[in-house]
Amino acid sequence: MGVNKLILLTTITLLWNASLLAAGTQYNLRVDGLSCPFCAYGIEKKLIRTEGVESVAFDLEKGLVIVKVEEGVALTEGQLKQLVDDAGFTLRSVSEQPL
Amino acid sequence: MTVRWLCGLLLFSGAFQLSAAPVTFNTALPVSKGEGVVRVQAKYLSASDDPGSMNRELTVKALPVVGVWGITSRWTLFGIAPLLDKTMALDMPSGRTKRRVNGLGDVTAMVRYTAYSQDQPGRTVRIAPFTGIEMPTGKDDEQDTLGRLPGSLQPGSGAWNPLIGVVTTAQSLQQEWGLSTSYKLNNEANNFERGDEARLDLSYHRRIRVGGPADGLPHFLYAGVESNWVWRGKNQNNGLKDSDSGGATLYLAPTLQYITRRTVAEIALQRPVVQNLNGNALKQDFILTLSLRVNY
Repeated sequence: MGVNKLILLTTITLLWNASLLAAGTQYNLRVDGLSCPFCAYGIEKKLIRTEGVESVAFDLEKGLVIVKVEEGVALTEGQLKQLVDDAGFTLRSVSEQPL
Repeated sequence: MTVRWLCGLLLFSGAFQLSAAPVTFNTALPVSKGEGVVRVQAKYLSASDDPGSMNRELTVKALPVVGVWGITSRWTLFGIAPLLDKTMALDMPSGRTKRRVNGLGDVTAMVRYTAYSQDQPGRTVRIAPFTGIEMPTGKDDEQDTLGRLPGSLQPGSGAWNPLIGVVTTAQSLQQEWGLSTSYKLNNEANNFERGDEARLDLSYHRRIRVGGPADGLPHFLYAGVESNWVWRGKNQNNGLKDSDSGGATLYLAPTLQYITRRTVAEIALQRPVVQNLNGNALKQDFILTLSLRVNY
């Protein structure tokens, strides 16, 4: 009985840690031309409809768009540039970091 | 009479704007490709300064519904459908008389192209020419108990009226400048032709407050001032120029705008500060505009 409980507890712990480790990627987009929240929503709509995108956040003062995607999803710079262009703005740079 | 011109001004002014932009005229700010914006305005115009002897008083209530669609990031399509309610009170030999009409006015379709854009962090400068046409969708043969209403009071012009212009917008997070000029060629229908219209518009808005959620897009409150110089040629009835129509007016308007990520609520009060009108053309008192835009 004690062994079974230990195996169950270990399994749960491993799964929990795995879910924490598999948290996806954050893309930091420097976007020029973002000068009001109503305009910025145009980019948010484009990004949030992209498969795998979990959230989109903004720092308008810095011209920064923060995109978080699910594990296993990768966005290319070309893809992001097209989305920002379609929204009517200019993508200056992209950086990414694991979550 | 300047009634039709006043109604045209009421509908054209501000109908094309989109983002955090002037309330009384157009903007060059972008609409995303494949995305739309809907705008509903409520406008109230009063004109009661009658240099003539009929003591005319005109009130126009207008509800322009504007649909905007981003064809590409540079090409934008606009459609404006106005609902109108016009009342003219005047002295006649039989006594004080009111003539009233309401219904759909002339629908305008327009395209705008962003020819120049210069983006920097938190700011943008854009120049966008636009062109469009006002279509004769409004009735132009309405009658009341006194007979057929004059052409200037009809909801529609009966004519196809093209317009062309260019707008420049310079916007940062703290402030915005707008400059626009346009010309509208009005054509003849039913032996009536209103005068052409030329406009020069200028705006300055400054952000006075930031609020909203801490972890999302902020909400901005802008205060601004806008000026509109509007010139109109004389109307023609049966090919004869109406000497009591046309002229130039300069408006000044304080404005307030509250902007969130999905909506813009705004108000403007246009007051004519200079009215150089021809003959006994009816002079305006004010135009009040309430507006709501929704990014869907």
